Amino acid sequence: MPPVRNSNFNSLPPHSRRRFLQVAAAATSGVMLSNCARALLNNASGGTTVQSDGRAGSGNQTLRIYTWANYTDDELLSNFKDRTGIQVIADTYDSNETMLAKVQAGGGKDYSIIYPSDYMVDQMSGQGLLSLLDRSKLDGINQLMDKWQNPAYDKNNAHSIPAVWGTTGLIFNPDVIQAEVKGWDYIWDNTEDLTRQITMISDVREVLGATLQYLGYSINSTDPAQIKEAYEKLLEIKPAIASFVTNGWEDQLAGGDLMISMAYSQDAISLIAEKPELQYIVPESGSSLWTDTMVIPKTAPNSEAAYAWLNFMLEPENAARLVERLKISTPNAAAFDKLPPKLQQNENLFPSKAVLAKCEGIVPVKEEISNLYDQFWTRLTSS
Amino acid sequence: MTLTSPNPNLAEPAIPGWQRTLRKLLQPVILLGPSGLWLLLLLVFPTLLILELSLIPGARLGNPPGPYGIGNYIEIFKPVYLQVIWRSLYFALGTTLFCLLLGFPVAYWIALKAPSRWRNLLLVGFILPLWTSSLLRAYAWITILRPSGLLNSLLGFFGLPGQEWLNRTPAVFIGMTYSYLPYMVLILYASLEKLDRRLLEAASDLGATQQQSFWRVTVPQTMPGIAAGGLLVLIATLGDFAVPELLGGASSMTVSRLIYNQFLGATRNWGLGSSISMILILGVSISIALLLKYGDRDAI
Amino acid sequence: MNSAPAKPKLPFSWQGMLTALMYAFMYVPILVLGFYSFNDSRFSSTWGGFSLRWYDSLFNDGRILSALGDSLKVALIAVGLSAILGTMMAVGLAKYSFPGKGLYLGISYLPLIVPDIAVAVATLVFLASVSVPLSLWTIIAAHIVFCLAYIAVVVSTRLAGLNPSLEEAALDLGANPFQAFMKVLLPELTPAILSGCLLAFVLSMDDLLISSFTAGGGANTLPMEIFSRVRTGVKPDINALSVLLILFSGALAFLSEYIRFKSAQRQLGQ
Repeated sequence: MPPVRNSNFNSLPPHSRRRFLQVAAAATSGVMLSNCARALLNNASGGTTVQSDGRAGSGNQTLRIYTWANYTDDELLSNFKDRTGIQVIADTYDSNETMLAKVQAGGGKDYSIIYPSDYMVDQMSGQGLLSLLDRSKLDGINQLMDKWQNPAYDKNNAHSIPAVWGTTGLIFNPDVIQAEVKGWDYIWDNTEDLTRQITMISDVREVLGATLQYLGYSINSTDPAQIKEAYEKLLEIKPAIASFVTNGWEDQLAGGDLMISMAYSQDAISLIAEKPELQYIVPESGSSLWTDTMVIPKTAPNSEAAYAWLNFMLEPENAARLVERLKISTPNAAAFDKLPPKLQQNENLFPSKAVLAKCEGIVPVKEEISNLYDQFWTRLTSS
Repeated sequence: MTLTSPNPNLAEPAIPGWQRTLRKLLQPVILLGPSGLWLLLLLVFPTLLILELSLIPGARLGNPPGPYGIGNYIEIFKPVYLQVIWRSLYFALGTTLFCLLLGFPVAYWIALKAPSRWRNLLLVGFILPLWTSSLLRAYAWITILRPSGLLNSLLGFFGLPGQEWLNRTPAVFIGMTYSYLPYMVLILYASLEKLDRRLLEAASDLGATQQQSFWRVTVPQTMPGIAAGGLLVLIATLGDFAVPELLGGASSMTVSRLIYNQFLGATRNWGLGSSISMILILGVSISIALLLKYGDRDAI
Repeated sequence: MNSAPAKPKLPFSWQGMLTALMYAFMYVPILVLGFYSFNDSRFSSTWGGFSLRWYDSLFNDGRILSALGDSLKVALIAVGLSAILGTMMAVGLAKYSFPGKGLYLGISYLPLIVPDIAVAVATLVFLASVSVPLSLWTIIAAHIVFCLAYIAVVVSTRLAGLNPSLEEAALDLGANPFQAFMKVLLPELTPAILSGCLLAFVLSMDDLLISSFTAGGGANTLPMEIFSRVRTGVKPDINALSVLLILFSGALAFLSEYIRFKSAQRQLGQ
């Protein structure tokens, strides 16, 4: 049998097999082949320049937006088209970080509107990725609720228009738990009875942040000692934590296999709409307050259409209808006034001022602190 | 590029010598060129990029890059990361073993025992559940494995005590085995199907028991398939983080989740993420090389 | 090794029993999904009565359907091209030896090894640096990389034990290499190519990370849509979609096998 004809991955002549191992070695010598990585890192560090609007002529009739799946629906897009004649193409992402990586690496040049969350606005504007909003082109920005007139993540809404907001809290079934749960102390007081019966969000800043607040510190603490204390405090309730998942706990909670889940208010609201016996609370010690916003990236090919979109979304009537259809919390005070009383009084959608006062938005921290958070998270999820 | 014909004394039809040489040169280029080019562009360049990133300590998008160094590689040796690597290996090796043990009889039965006209259909039927999203399949397992779920109800029906499956290691093994068993069966089938049955007949003619002919004929002949299937499942399980995270509970951090967190988590430490990726690539490459050597010896 | 005494032959072998059990194992979660797709309630913990509302909402959901369309487009084109390229590659690697073959071989394994997220990020960076606009086609291009590799691996395992004398005989008898390949080698390789394609198709249909990093221009695959819906909770309409997909592809497989069987019978009858 001719030896080579019969060869494949498994029966190579020995020397070629050994060469397989040399892949890495060969690759190492190829490092200097390109300085691509350095160029990339540099490029993304604020050096992004405004693209000349080469597509203005053909692009006027389409607007590409990059958003979360549940923030637009067909009705909204077709209403917008009826009004302005602009066709909207919506791409979706499932995490802020995916979006950021894509935009930074140059894959977001087609988008004229992006929906980053609060902390991401801070990060993106810090890196010079966002264009300053031209107030003269915007109508109704003064109708925003007080809390969003001058948010911490973006002073005076210079780069962003808040679109949707919510809180992070605890959801449980009062009939099953048979006790009054007001906040995190219930979990620390009853750890032994809750073995593997609570879930927490799969996000380091939310979980450690909630613990920091429980300890009386800021959710944005940058003090290593405080962060360490929070980590150690969390270890106490580790036996009670079934898993760190942002979604996927719904069925188990509804079925009584889980006692308490830490959840975003939006998830809780859509769940309670179908399981009214469940209850969502913002812990007494406070919680994170998150906002998803609309921004115009510097590279936006069609900023006229982007402004048209922002103005359309700021119109109280449109914003109110969106709240009714998608069950999201709007920061638009004028839209809030147009809502039916039943929605206005929904404490989960629109918590009282007293509750909101305890809530704090998560803002980015310095690199070393961020590394510290991450290391505690890795330890927490692997011990 | 110089080429050595695998079979120089192959009688080729009478065609001019230069044409034959050209053909000999062209054939491999045509066969290997297009895929080679594709892999070079969309795989080799990107991988070199990862390598370069791994050599820039603390490389982050949006930061001016620091000087080259091996800081990222040193970082991996922290006990916390080693523990994560160890857990991933445990999950991956265990799943591979389960897939082999459960998948081989299935592939064997479809390839050799089932009526031949049903074979393709049976095979496709085994793969079909993969048509659902992996996320949904994981959710379905949550429904089955949770304390008041289907499995415990079934156990209760037979008067057996319920167990805690979910958010512990058993759930990871069940979920991952479920996800990768079809791949194993597919690959084993491809190599069992071409098994030379005459050898089995000869073995039984010579008085070998079924067991003997299985271990002496079937297994050695399907070794390439076993190696390829095992390898594929091992690599795929090392790369899976959705199943461990959803089913494995609060202590289920795996290497691939760690890499993911470095790229897309709060720290966005692309340098560290790249260096863990490189270590993973290197580790898997070495085990492939070892496995090929081992598989080779057995195949002869 | 102990020689087991000959046992009385059971109507079903233990392999048959185990296989049946494994089929059950594969389908239990699917049955669970299917069962709850008819549940009026959103939760699997409560049975809200039989209802087709999720199927209704599925067929009225343009986004899911267009995402399904995009996913199918990506998977079919990527797998189709990879089938050709991957088979050529496996055959080429089995037939020829040349300097750098080990390197080529090593590289062909890389898509299986490099973590998805690293590939996804690096591919995006590469595409951006050569300013290729992102679209459905960039997803396809990125999917071809791993589809190619998987198909090549599966075809190679089949090539390993193949008897080369048939192809040689064809060449001896005056067939040109192309004819020899098409008439002799290809039929032998078909099962492996098909199983490689199945594998690649399934992987492509389920890929999230690489797709979401290389997608653009309105392209949205099914996994991307499902994962971005996770934020509001995955509802049973996705279950309904899975059930329909499985039923449809199962029916398709059955039909094609049936047609093949009938035509084979007709040929035998003549």
